Amino acid sequence: MADHQPAAGILFTLAWRNLWRNHRRTLIMLIAIVIGVWAMILFSSLMAGMVDEMVRGGLRTLPGEVQIHHPDYRDDPSIANSIDAPQGALLERLNNPPVTGWAARIKVPAMISSERANRGIQLLGVDPAQEVSLGFDPTNIVEGRFLEGPDDKGLVIGRKLAERLETRLGKRVVIMSQDPDNNVADRGIRVVGIYQARLQATEELNVYGGLETLQKMLNVDNQVSEIAITGDDFRQVASWWPQIQQATGPELETVPWMELDGYLESMMKMQTSFNVIITVVIFLTLSFGLVNTLVMAVFERVREIGLMMALGMRPGWIMYQVLLESIILLGLGLLLGNLLAVATILPLEDGIDISALAKGLEMAGMGSTLYPSLRLSDMVLSTVVVLVLGLLASLLPAWRASRYNPIQALART
Amino acid sequence: MKYIIGIMLALLTASSMAASPDPVDLIRKAMDHWRGVTSYGEMTMVIHRPDWERSMSMEAWTEGDKLSLVRVTAPARDAGNGSLVMDDNMWSYAPKINRVIKVPSSMMSQSWMGSDLSNKDISKSTDIIDQYTHTLLETREGQGHQTWVIQSIPNEDAAVVWGKEVWSIRDDYVLMEQQFWDQDGVLVKTFRTHEVRELDGRMVATVMRMQDEEKPDEWTEMRVDSSKFDIELPINLFTLSNLRNPRQ
Repeated sequence: MADHQPAAGILFTLAWRNLWRNHRRTLIMLIAIVIGVWAMILFSSLMAGMVDEMVRGGLRTLPGEVQIHHPDYRDDPSIANSIDAPQGALLERLNNPPVTGWAARIKVPAMISSERANRGIQLLGVDPAQEVSLGFDPTNIVEGRFLEGPDDKGLVIGRKLAERLETRLGKRVVIMSQDPDNNVADRGIRVVGIYQARLQATEELNVYGGLETLQKMLNVDNQVSEIAITGDDFRQVASWWPQIQQATGPELETVPWMELDGYLESMMKMQTSFNVIITVVIFLTLSFGLVNTLVMAVFERVREIGLMMALGMRPGWIMYQVLLESIILLGLGLLLGNLLAVATILPLEDGIDISALAKGLEMAGMGSTLYPSLRLSDMVLSTVVVLVLGLLASLLPAWRASRYNPIQALART
Repeated sequence: MKYIIGIMLALLTASSMAASPDPVDLIRKAMDHWRGVTSYGEMTMVIHRPDWERSMSMEAWTEGDKLSLVRVTAPARDAGNGSLVMDDNMWSYAPKINRVIKVPSSMMSQSWMGSDLSNKDISKSTDIIDQYTHTLLETREGQGHQTWVIQSIPNEDAAVVWGKEVWSIRDDYVLMEQQFWDQDGVLVKTFRTHEVRELDGRMVATVMRMQDEEKPDEWTEMRVDSSKFDIELPINLFTLSNLRNPRQ
């Protein structure tokens, strides 16, 4: 075994020189690998960016990663299925990490009317400070102002809704819903702010009013429809939401976002399996080129291999040398491909404007800017796939090279 | 001299006060006049659209501000459909499905029986008195009658979308016109009386039309065929069971 070390060094030198003996072929192969790796990483980072954006957007409209409701609320979101605002142990839990923001809000279906139109909406009674901690961005207010406190007597509606209602900032509209006894609860209210959202559907759906103002209108005292809670990272929710459930108690329903919005979760899972499939497909096409390069390299050198064997090189070393050639080629390709991918994606991380496709994207619940997200796991995945499959593909030519009969190989012309 | 001027000023204010009655009072009187303490009427509702027109006959009972019952008698297709209003709540009954349905708040601003009137127009008419600020704009003379024009501006939290409503009430308390203005001062729709006749001893508006001002050929007309006022009504008239199974 002692003579293995210098042998390995010689094999590496041989492999390296052999590679560059036909530098044109090697370069073409290298470029193919680089482009393949680059495409795999770019594609999966675009996909990941799309899905992340969808999940984050979905969580913003949910909102929060964990929600507490009356057990019947999700089946019948009426004001009759209200709960008390958080207090005691739950309040204590909510005000400590990992919870970074929470809001106790009224959320009931309602009608909004202007002089010319009526629309069905989701009426949200909120405390503006809590809502901001949950992720509502006050800079989304394009006209007027956001609510100033839970007792604010104004209404904040979406830009698209204002357009549909043919109303404006400063006009009065009527909101109408039902109180817990199913009586009509309505009042006139002035539009004090207009917000814009990433999705038109959100702009048309959500209408914000002061929590206390709406509690009074709906005849409920210090009751809310839901408590929405957010931590820092939607991937970490599983680790802390059982604590919230414990603090809430069994008589209320505590649900994480994976259950609240099964679509989002399955989208995330689908993306991961998609990435693997795409990576494999891209590599399969690449592998034909790789096998071809190596087979050709072996064929060209039949006499040479025969000579080496005749001089006493073991078949195993011949195989090792051919494999080494492919590893060097793959390694170089992976390195350059990864670097190229990083160099392409990093400048794009501020977002790619794809508003030309906005209509179609909106149907899938996505905004009109795509934020590619470069993740180490994607890079590792494509590197591992390329290395493993590349070695598998080069096994055949390597094995054939090692099986030559030295006499027949030398006799070849 | 000063004394005389003082008396004249006092007289002037007194006479102008006599000439400008309390607008709230006027509206209430107009409504009471239209409804009586109790009333029973037969009417036809004509719904007109650019390419079609249809009419419906109905009977209506009212008691005070808060109770009313309407039942469709013709055409046969709609006969038996009914609406019952108690306070601010409204129920409707359709014989075809044999169900009494409480009209949910989400449907209150939808059209009532396909007309230009909304469920809210039907069920809320008397809230106007305390949810608005009323001012007398002018007093008009003409056709042997005096007409008061009253402007009603809804209170800030009133569940009313209009910027203002303008009423024209004749001196015999017949409501001649009710205009609905948006908050930009554009007239949106008008409820106008086209004919006044004497029915059961009092002058009442017998043809009234709700006209959408932005679409001149879309309107709904109510024609009163007969009316009785201050009559004895059975005690079970305004009940859900009577809405479903007519007993009168």
